[in-house]
Amino acid sequence: MAYRNRFAALADPTRRRIFERLKSGPQAVGAIARRMPVSRPAVSQHLKVLKEAGLVADRPEGTRRVYYIDPNGLGALRAWVDQFWDKALTEFKAEVEMQTSERKDKPK
Amino acid sequence: MTMTARVKIAPVSKSIRVNATQAHAFEVFTSGLGRWWPREHGIGKKPMKAVVMETRLGGRWYELSEDGSQATVGKIIVWEPPRRFVMTWDINSQWKPDSTVNSEVEVRFIAEGANATRVELEHRKFEQMGAEAGESMRNDVERGWPGMLERFKQHVETA
Repeated sequence: MAYRNRFAALADPTRRRIFERLKSGPQAVGAIARRMPVSRPAVSQHLKVLKEAGLVADRPEGTRRVYYIDPNGLGALRAWVDQFWDKALTEFKAEVEMQTSERKDKPK
Repeated sequence: MTMTARVKIAPVSKSIRVNATQAHAFEVFTSGLGRWWPREHGIGKKPMKAVVMETRLGGRWYELSEDGSQATVGKIIVWEPPRRFVMTWDINSQWKPDSTVNSEVEVRFIAEGANATRVELEHRKFEQMGAEAGESMRNDVERGWPGMLERFKQHVETA
């Protein structure tokens, strides 16, 4: 399922860093790899996954290929919402279980 | 119209099991929203003072800022305590309040024993977030919607 892939694509911390790096604009693999603790082939592989997940796109620029956040970034939007709710529900669980153990509704 | 029909985006589905009764889970999620909703999830003016859910059909989920302004997140369109509610999510693709577009959020509370409840959340109809969603989202991401992914990462890795 494509949407599963999008979520999985950003669940990996290195891929998340690569994705965030592209916020500043299109970049070639080499430029991304220079500031990452992983090899260039590894970065290429991560970019491939991000591309398949609809999060980034690429285009040739001279002899290189540059990657950028997909302008049809619906995948990115959805991936963002996905993580948004993960965090919210984690907080909810903590609160509801704390309240259960206290048996008391305190105003905040 | 043509643009909106262009892409159908799969809903985001979440499920979490909590050690609480169905009624209590529902109550904390809704009237207790302000006690757990992450502060950095604010969509209105910063800093956020409170987040409130008006617990009735037609009620609003809104944020109150320190300066007194309000930002409506959405409105309740199905209200069936303590089993489920559905609300509109009046946030555009730049993650700003916008009454002209909406996606939809359903939250279901399923009792799974005396003191256990499964909470299922579905956020859907993203394609209604507007024809320009892709472009807007790109701009938004590039401007750096405030480091959400980074904070999420920190949260999950320290939790």
